[in-house]
Amino acid sequence: MTKRMIVAMLALAGIFVALYLLLYKMGVVGNLSCSIGSCETVNTSRWAVFMGAPVAGWGVGFYVMMFVLALASIQDRYADSVGMSRLLVWLSGFGFVFSSWLTYLELFEIKAICQWCVISAIIVTIMFVFAALDLRDRVALSQEGTD
Amino acid sequence: MAGKSKDRRGNVVRNASTRPKSFYPVLVVIAVVGASILAYVASRKPEAAAPTPLKVDAATAGPAQGYLIGNPNAPVTILEFADFECPACGRFATITEPDVRKRIIETGLANLTFYDFPLPQHLNSQSASNAAACADDQGKFWPMHDQLFASQDQWSTQATDNPKPMFMSYAGRIGLDVGKFESCYDARTHQKRIEANFAEGERHKVNSTPTFVIGSQSYANAMSYDELKAAVDSAARK
Repeated sequence: MTKRMIVAMLALAGIFVALYLLLYKMGVVGNLSCSIGSCETVNTSRWAVFMGAPVAGWGVGFYVMMFVLALASIQDRYADSVGMSRLLVWLSGFGFVFSSWLTYLELFEIKAICQWCVISAIIVTIMFVFAALDLRDRVALSQEGTD
Repeated sequence: MAGKSKDRRGNVVRNASTRPKSFYPVLVVIAVVGASILAYVASRKPEAAAPTPLKVDAATAGPAQGYLIGNPNAPVTILEFADFECPACGRFATITEPDVRKRIIETGLANLTFYDFPLPQHLNSQSASNAAACADDQGKFWPMHDQLFASQDQWSTQATDNPKPMFMSYAGRIGLDVGKFESCYDARTHQKRIEANFAEGERHKVNSTPTFVIGSQSYANAMSYDELKAAVDSAARK
C-alpha cells in the first residue's frame, strides 16, 4: 500500500465523517451519536458556519478534493509526479491548519469537544503526514534520476 | 518511468502506479460501510413520538405573536428568533440577556420580542415553546423562558424523550396554576402561535439560532452584550 493510497483511503473515510455532520446540520439526522464530548454544542455554535456555509460542508468539499487528487495521483500518468505530491501536501496542509484552528475554537472558545470533529482532525493530520512523506520520497527519487 | 524505480541504494522501489490488488477492494469496503452507516442514521426514527419538524407556509401562517419585554414604544426594537433547546440561545439567555434587560430594556433604549424558532433537530424544542406559551397564558412567559434556558440540560433531546415532567416541575416552581398549565400543554393550545412565530422567522430569512433583528439589520449569532449594545446604538441613530 503506497502513501498516496493511504491518503485516498483516509480521504474517503473523511468524506463520510463530514457528511454525517453535514446531514445533522441540515436536519436530516435528528441526533448526533456522541459518546464523548458535546457534539451538539459544537455543531450549533456560531463557529459551525464559515463564510455562510456549514463548516461540515466545507469539510465534505475538502475531503472530496483530497480523494479525487489522491486517486489521480496513483494513476500511471501521475505516478512519479513531484508536482502531484506537492499539491497533496499543500491541500492537506491547508486542511491541517484549518482543522487545528477548529480544534482551538472547540477547546478555548466553545469550550466543548465534538468527537466527530476530533476524528476528522486526526484523519486530516494523518493525511498530511503521509502526503509529506510521499513528497519526501518523490523528491528523493527525482533527485536520484537527475544525478 | 511508471512501474518501478530505484532508490539511492539501488534498491528497487515500487512506485505509486503499481497498485496492490487490495487497494480498490479496501476503498469499496470503506464506501459501503460509510454509506450503510449514514443511511442507517438518516433513516433512524426518534425513539419517542416527538412533534414533527415545523413546516409552515409563511403566506398562510397568520400573524406572528411574539413575547414582548420592555417599553412597547421604545425607540429601537429587537426581535429575537430562538430555539429553546439551542445551546447558543441558552448561553445568550443565561449569560448575556440579564445585562441586556438591565441596561438596555429597563432603561428604555429598546424593547425585545422573542419569537419561537424551533429547529428540526431539536425534538423537544416545540414542546418547550408550548410550555412557554402556556406559561404566558398566566402572565409568566419570561420566568418560564428563563427557567427553560437555565435548565436545558435537564429536558433537551439528549437528556430525555419525555420532557413534560420537567416542564410541570418548572410550572410549579415559577408559581403557575399547574392544573391549568397541564391542560393547556396537553391540548397544544398555542400550536398555531408557535407556527406563526416560526413563519415570521422564515420571513426574516432566519436559518440559525439565535438570530436578532435590530432595527432593520439582521445578526445571525449569539451576540455579546457589547455587540448588541452597539447594534442598538446604531439603530437608534438611523
